Amino acid sequence: MEAITPLFPEVLISGAAFIVLFVFIWKFALPPVTKMLDERAEKIRESIEKAEETRIEAERLLEDYKQQMAEARNEATEVIEQGRRVADSMKNDIVAKANEEAAAIVAKAREAIVSEKQAAMAELQASVADISVSVAGKLIGEKLSADDHAKLIERYVAEVGSFNDN
Amino acid sequence: MDKLGYEVEKLLHHLEPVGLDGHHLEGTFALSNYTFYLVIALFLTLLFFVFAARKASLVPKGFGNLAETGVEFVRNSIVSDVMGPEGLKYLPFMVTVFFFVLFNNLLGLVPGGLPGTGTVGTTFTWGLFVFLTYNFIGFQKNGIAYLKSFIPSGTPWWLQPLILLLEVVSHLLRPFTLGVRLYANMYAGHIILGVFVIFIKIVFDQITAGGLVVASLSFVMLILMYAFELFVAFIQAYVFTILTAVYISGALHAADH
Repeated sequence: MEAITPLFPEVLISGAAFIVLFVFIWKFALPPVTKMLDERAEKIRESIEKAEETRIEAERLLEDYKQQMAEARNEATEVIEQGRRVADSMKNDIVAKANEEAAAIVAKAREAIVSEKQAAMAELQASVADISVSVAGKLIGEKLSADDHAKLIERYVAEVGSFNDN
Repeated sequence: MDKLGYEVEKLLHHLEPVGLDGHHLEGTFALSNYTFYLVIALFLTLLFFVFAARKASLVPKGFGNLAETGVEFVRNSIVSDVMGPEGLKYLPFMVTVFFFVLFNNLLGLVPGGLPGTGTVGTTFTWGLFVFLTYNFIGFQKNGIAYLKSFIPSGTPWWLQPLILLLEVVSHLLRPFTLGVRLYANMYAGHIILGVFVIFIKIVFDQITAGGLVVASLSFVMLILMYAFELFVAFIQAYVFTILTAVYISGALHAADH
């Protein structure tokens, strides 16, 4: 039973040792350790929060870029479509104008041909009249023998032929 | 058999708390065989915390990491879990209890060493410290209402004196149960290890064929028990500390009962 009774010197020394260690840990050892543990916990919390924020920001940016890409694609399609429309309308204009011009040229040419034809007809009529007058003059001026008659016709024909050559 | 009896007697005698000169301690202030190792454990614990405080860095490494892990274990797994956030105020006390008990327990496993916690002189004293501390906290936090918490609300009036008596006795027993549990574990562990050493020693004194089997088995058992005692050293430090936390927590929240 001896061992179960605390010995006073042991009580004193173990008590004093406990108090010394407690004061040392309380006043000197623990504050830097717990401070550092708290700082680390805080730092880890901050890092996690920051990472989360960065992730959200990255997702937002990605969404923005996707939207911008889609907008740009739509815009490009529209520009191309508009270009096509403008080109089409220009083409139509040009073709219409060309047709108009061609029609005008044809009409003018036709007019010119008609007037040339009329001029030629008028000139021909004048020539025929002249020839008739000179033939009549010649008939009136001399008595025609059968030979003369034949020669006259020949000359006339030759004259008409030479006229045709002109 | 006589030899075994003699050796065990010698072992028990060796484990008795006596002065370093082998004489009884009564009436002196000298170190005993236990408090000698307790003082060594004190210096080792102090040294451990000096390094822990100096090596504290945001990115943990090496020794600093070990100390921090210990402090964090006490803080999170014992103090915060049992007492809640308001228990953090008592972290220095809890850290002292855990690490001093642990270092003393471990020192007993150094061959030739004795655990400072292997004597009731130490364990009763620390049990008493825990008792005084948690009662002080109880009164400080709740005033005289702390005493009322000894009687659960709703107890019939005629039962109240009996309940109060039982509660007071159970509180008064706490330092002894704390002390005896730790002391008995350390003391008994040492006896078990000692007995296996004695088996081996006896066989080597008078070698026989059967004796060699006993010696080999004893050696294996010695190693197994040594590992087990290492485990016990941690477990008992944990048990002592968590009971302290439970008592302080009870005192803190006495008004809730």
